Amino acid sequence: MLRSFNWLDLESLLRGAVWTIVLCVTAGVAGTVLGLLLGIASSSPSRVARWVASTYVLIIRGIPLLVIVFFAYFGIPLMFPDIDLSAFLTAVIALTVFATAYMAEIFRGSINAVPHGQTEAAQALGLNYARRLRFVVLPQAMRIAVPPGIGFLIALIKDSSLVTVIGFVELTRSGTTISNLTAEPILTYSVVAVLYFVICYGVSRLGSWYENRSGSRMDTTEAENQPHALQLEGV
Amino acid sequence: MTFYFGDLLPFSGQLAAALWTSVYITLIAMAVGSAFGVLLYVGKTGSNRALRSVCWWYVEAFRNTPLLVQLYLIYFGLPELGVNLNPTWAGIVALTLNNAAYTAEIYRAGFEAVPHGLVEAGQALGMRRSQVFRHIELMPATRNVFPALTNQFILLFLASSIASIIGLPELMNAVLNINTQTYRTFEILAVGGGLYFVVSLILSLASKAAESFFFRWGVSGRA
Repeated sequence: MLRSFNWLDLESLLRGAVWTIVLCVTAGVAGTVLGLLLGIASSSPSRVARWVASTYVLIIRGIPLLVIVFFAYFGIPLMFPDIDLSAFLTAVIALTVFATAYMAEIFRGSINAVPHGQTEAAQALGLNYARRLRFVVLPQAMRIAVPPGIGFLIALIKDSSLVTVIGFVELTRSGTTISNLTAEPILTYSVVAVLYFVICYGVSRLGSWYENRSGSRMDTTEAENQPHALQLEGV
Repeated sequence: MTFYFGDLLPFSGQLAAALWTSVYITLIAMAVGSAFGVLLYVGKTGSNRALRSVCWWYVEAFRNTPLLVQLYLIYFGLPELGVNLNPTWAGIVALTLNNAAYTAEIYRAGFEAVPHGLVEAGQALGMRRSQVFRHIELMPATRNVFPALTNQFILLFLASSIASIIGLPELMNAVLNINTQTYRTFEILAVGGGLYFVVSLILSLASKAAESFFFRWGVSGRA
């Protein structure tokens, strides 16, 4: 039975949008934490750690997200028949596996972008590897990682639409349901697109606001305390 | 659980054909999309105000919405307007339009890196506007952004798998079909993922070779 697009449909699309955000925040946070660990590993002195991290990043970046999603959807129940994973958790796992590789690459680049003199100075001061990382390299690397990190978060929000194939009801999936009910695909998917646009464009504005704010704050108050931070801005 | 790849052997021809489909839709989308992307950049920075805002909206709209939704709009939405595209054409159109927005942004960085003095020098030498654009702006800009373009090409190849959702018979679609015929889920996903991986690896190696082959001329900042 066909019916026309109404306010209730808009409400369920908004609910789908909220699930998209929840999904991306969860996978984004998990991917950032794991990606940071892998990023540290891929710039560490240990050869084995570097090899493990770079192989993981190479493989995940070389296959489509859709393959990862299907692997999570079909593969986890095959390997662990006892666990009953919800669609949400399956989606989170797939997106986390994906995000980890890209965040690791961003963190590796950021850590390498910190001038080597910083590490040498810390070494000269007698700091061990962990302390050099914790107090000297990572605080600077984190700053460098913010713009590409936000860029990836936006990509993740768009890519999260792919978990529609495993039946998790996020924004795209609610769009499909409503489009099938109302037979108004242009209207429905346009609203879906507008919602994605608002989320993604909002995040990107937020990102540039943060960059401006942190940049200007550094110019005024922190500049004297952190003489090296200014020259990092151009990296 | 045990793995058995033998069941997949009869499907190797189908996989090869599907892989070729993936490659050629990517090639079309990349070639047409990049050309369109350059036009978008030119429109975005041109003197016509209306055109500028149209191009700006185009780029932002395509870059801030998922490819899947764009694909749905083209495949399910256009028939409402009387335009019926089969999955292959819908996929090619969606990938091309999407890629154009991304290449426009990539090219922006490349064009902005061309010093304005070079353009003036070209004009002083009596070159026509199209000549200046082609030889002094477009080619150096392409060289500037070549690594970013080939990266986009690989991303586009991986993204072409999304077209399987509307039934475009490319690699991912073949993988899912073979899965329902053999129930060798793990094996076929591994083979499919492996094929994507190998091709993207080859593409990234080939792009490095292509870069040093096509852009040997002149003084390169990266050389």
